[in-house]
Order: sequence, then structure tokens, then C-alpha cells
Amino acid sequence: MKRWLARIGQPLGLLLFLTAMLSAASFDPEDKPIPDVGKAYRIPYRLTNTNHFLVRVRINGKGPFNFLVDTGAPALYVATETAKKIGLKPSEDDFWTSVDRLEFEGGATLEGIKARVEDPFQLVGMNALGLPGASIDGILGFTMLARYRLELDPTKDRMIWTRLDYNPKEPPVPRRKPGDQPVEMQAMNALGPIAKLAAALIGRQPEDELSTRGFLGVELDAKPEKLGVRVTRILPDSPASKAGLREGDLITRIEDRDLVDIVSARAAVRKVKPGDRVRLMVQRENEAAALKLTVTAGEGF
Amino acid sequence: MSIEKNVRNSAGFVPALMLMLLTPFIAAQAPREETHAKAANAPKPALVPFEMLASNHMVVLAKLNGEGPFRLIFDLGAPITLLSNRAGEAAGIVKKNAPRSMLFAMRGEAQVKTLEVGALTAKDVPVIVLDHPALSALGGFLGKPLDGIIGFTFFARYKTTIDYQAKEMTLEPVDYEVKNLMKDLPAQLAGPKVAKRQVLAPGSLFGLSVGEPVGGLQSSGVPISTVSAGSAADAAGFKIGDILTALDGRWTTSIADVFAAAAGATPGRPVEVSVLRDGKTIQFTVTPREGL
Repeated sequence: MKRWLARIGQPLGLLLFLTAMLSAASFDPEDKPIPDVGKAYRIPYRLTNTNHFLVRVRINGKGPFNFLVDTGAPALYVATETAKKIGLKPSEDDFWTSVDRLEFEGGATLEGIKARVEDPFQLVGMNALGLPGASIDGILGFTMLARYRLELDPTKDRMIWTRLDYNPKEPPVPRRKPGDQPVEMQAMNALGPIAKLAAALIGRQPEDELSTRGFLGVELDAKPEKLGVRVTRILPDSPASKAGLREGDLITRIEDRDLVDIVSARAAVRKVKPGDRVRLMVQRENEAAALKLTVTAGEGF
Repeated sequence: MSIEKNVRNSAGFVPALMLMLLTPFIAAQAPREETHAKAANAPKPALVPFEMLASNHMVVLAKLNGEGPFRLIFDLGAPITLLSNRAGEAAGIVKKNAPRSMLFAMRGEAQVKTLEVGALTAKDVPVIVLDHPALSALGGFLGKPLDGIIGFTFFARYKTTIDYQAKEMTLEPVDYEVKNLMKDLPAQLAGPKVAKRQVLAPGSLFGLSVGEPVGGLQSSGVPISTVSAGSAADAAGFKIGDILTALDGRWTTSIADVFAAAAGATPGRPVEVSVLRDGKTIQFTVTPREGL
């Protein structure tokens, strides 16, 4: 049963990804001066499980929301649910809705722009199935992206957006009503609800559960020793201080792992969460026997 | 079992029927060896000209297996590369008599031996061959056919720079292994719906702890709850009650955000940190230390 559904889910998911959107458009540069022309912004992004690039935005000071970077979309799309959350009312007499301020994580900001409040079927479908591993709250299309020189290197953790002296106008309103669309486009539009149905049958992919690594409160020397890692400072009131660890101690073992360098020390506590008990073996000057200490990890970094 | 049966038996269940229509595509699909081929024959950035359509789409001219040129939309939002049946057949990527599914005339997965754009040639690019309704409609509207979409499976091999104003794109090969979505996706859909656990580990020691954000969607950050005496954060001048709004250029609107940002902070490298204190934004430079 699951295999059967997965086989269906594959082409379904595939079609949801194709984000080329149909709409007529033209643009003229606006003549308002742009204050930050030439400025380069380092924009953090996330690559989803479905190979989509998401950047975070704040709309009119509220957020953050995940938006898809999509040169295949002609304009800025805000999902209806997102618009509702931030109190952005879709314009009643205009196809476009005015947005005062759109801030991107990394510092770039646009003011006085137009958005379309709508749920493209790709977003509805992917969010219903939870495929990307994060909710997608809207789409950054041409009218936003074209204002920047975009530099995207999948081996780096940020994109670089450099402001151009260029403000494309939003595209004119599509002339077609949904009912006038070709049958196949109507079929495409049905994919969102279908994905919702599929999600009801096979379940939604859950988002990752995030937790923070536990905090010990020791500063360490990166210089390699013959064995172990040297403590250079104990932060006051920290878990390490409470456990009796001291400056100058040599930590030789964490849990079941012998420490050979700082990398192995990091690896040994990689999965430690706040509240976890961590066993240490310590060599201290003027003490012949190794000390066994237990640190209860706290919260901090 | 019972759900499957129900779905199959209710003939009037239009969505289920749709799903059934899509399945022949899978039947036509052959298993494929994973390739790690890279376009390594262009060490310096290659200039790729593009045309802007009236619909706000970028079109590049591409030769497929030496045939063409074909008109393809360059789409950063598309995780796959897609070709129309016309282009797929003309370039010998699919055989003319290969079976088609009823919907979108899907031919399934295939591979292009060479995809040339501008001065650049990419080898062994996986593609999907089908007639995308939006592409056909758009091509018809513009009076010039469009032959497909160039997506992630192509552009993730490169550092891509797009300058709309100059109408210029450059592609520079990078060493990035492109994940095969067509293989991962079915497994993901069929697999257990259990959340993956992820522990966010800071890359260095600051000497701070933070509390939960207040203010929901209006929240600008998380409050600092402790500053360890003698720590890097103490040396930089943080105070309890400061609202941490950004760390190393990343927003810190949740505790997880803070740790995700701190994961990239390496010991000894100065990091910019923004806080709100008494309503004013203050920028600090912190040099986090080695530690746990």
C-alpha cells in the first residue's frame, strides 16, 4: 500500500516542483533613486529536501517567513495563510496588494512593493505533503530578484545579492480567468488539492526536530597534547565549574571516547543535550590517579 | 490495504483517477546508475547570454547532444531539468516510439549526454521528458515554442551569477554533488513519518545563554539571560536583557536560530552580533573562543 502510494507520489511531487508560472508581463524602470545601489548583501539560505532554495523575509516588520527563490515566477507571491498571519489584507479592487517593507535575512530591504496574495498549487501541494522539510510561505519571483545581481554557489552557505540600479514593474494582471485556462492547466491547478488528499493517506513528512547542544562552560586549548585536551578557563557558575573541573586540567576522555585533539572533543559531545550527564576522565597536576567527574550539561553556547 | 482498495474501487473519485493516470510514467522508467559527472572542462566562468521574455522568464539557447539550439527557461525554482517531447526526440534523448503516459505525455527519466549553453558544456545531465502545460501555453502565447526548463540538476554544478540589468549570466564549475531527487523522493514518501532529530552544535564558545523570544511574529530576537564572567561575550560587552537580533548576519528569532548561526562561528574569527538595548540597535564584534 505504501509502495503504491509512493509511486503515485513521485510524479505528483514532481509536478508540484515545476514552478514556471504563466502570466503576461512587461516592465519599466521606476525613476525613484535607489539608496543602496552597488551594495552587496550576504543572504543566508536553506536548501530544502526538494532542492529548493529558501531565504527568510520579514513582511512589514513581521516574520520570519520562508520564501522560495524562483526565477520561474514573474512576481512576489504571498500565501493567503501568511498574509492572514501578518494582517496583510488582499486588495479588493486591485490584483496586486501593496507591501510597505520587505526585509531579507542578510540585510537587503525593499520598500513600497507589490505582491500577489495567492496560493500557487505548487506551494499548497508541497506544504501539504511536507516534502521540503520546512513550510514555504511565499515565492520571490522576477520583480524581486531582478533588483539584485544574484550570485548562487551551492558550496557556500550564503548567496550574494548586489543591488542593481533597476526596479522592474510588476507584470500586468493576467487576462485569463481560471475557467478559460486550457484543460491541462486546470489539471495542474488541481494538483494542490490532490496533494492534500495524498497527504491524508500517506501522512505528512514531519519537519526535523531541532534541539540545542548542551553547554559545559569550559574554554579549551586547541594545541594538541600527547593525550587529551587542556582546560584554559572554567566559566563561573557553569556546569563544568559545578562539577569541580579546574583550569589546567587535562580532559583525557569524554564518555567512551579517548580525546586526541579538539576535534575528537567536539565529536564526543556532538549529541549531548541540556540536562544530559557527561562523564569525564581528567588528569590534574600533582594528582597521580585520574579523576572521574560527571558534568550535567546546561543551556548556553 | 483497505484504504488502497477504497481508493481504487470508487470510480467517481476523480483525484484518485488522476493519480492512476500518472502511474504509467513510473512503469516506463528504467533504473539508472548514479553519476557524479561534472562539467570540469570549463575552469573559468563561462558567459551565457539570455533573453528576457515578456512574461518575466529567462530563456537560454542550449544545444542538446549537439542538436538544436533549443529554447529553455532558466529556473532557479525548479529542482529538475525538463525537456519537451519535441526536444527530447529531436536530440535523440528519447526514442520516438517510447511509451507516453496519458497525462502530459510523460516519457520519464532520461539523460542528456551533452548540454551546451554559451561556451559551456555539461555532461550527463539527468532530465525528465514531458510536455509541461504551462510551457506549452506560454510558448503559444508568445508565439515561439519553449522546449523545456533548466533547473537545479544543471545549475547546482556551478556558481551561478545572474545580472538582469546587464542581461548576463555566468556559470563557474564548483565541486558540488547533486542529489538525485527522483531517487530520494519515493523513498521519502514511502518511509516512516518520523521527524529526524538534529542537534545544533555551536562551533565555538561565546559564554551566553538566551531565553525564548517574546512577541510572536513581531519579535525581533531572543533575550540574553546570562553572560558568563570572563567569557568572550563578557569581553565584548553584552548585558543580561539585551535582545539578540542577529549573529554573523543571520536572524536570531528563536533559540534554534541562535544555535544555527553559532554553528558557523569558528574560534578566533570575529563575528558581528546585533542586539537591541533600550530600543536601540547596538553592533558588537565578538571573537568566540575554543571550548564546549
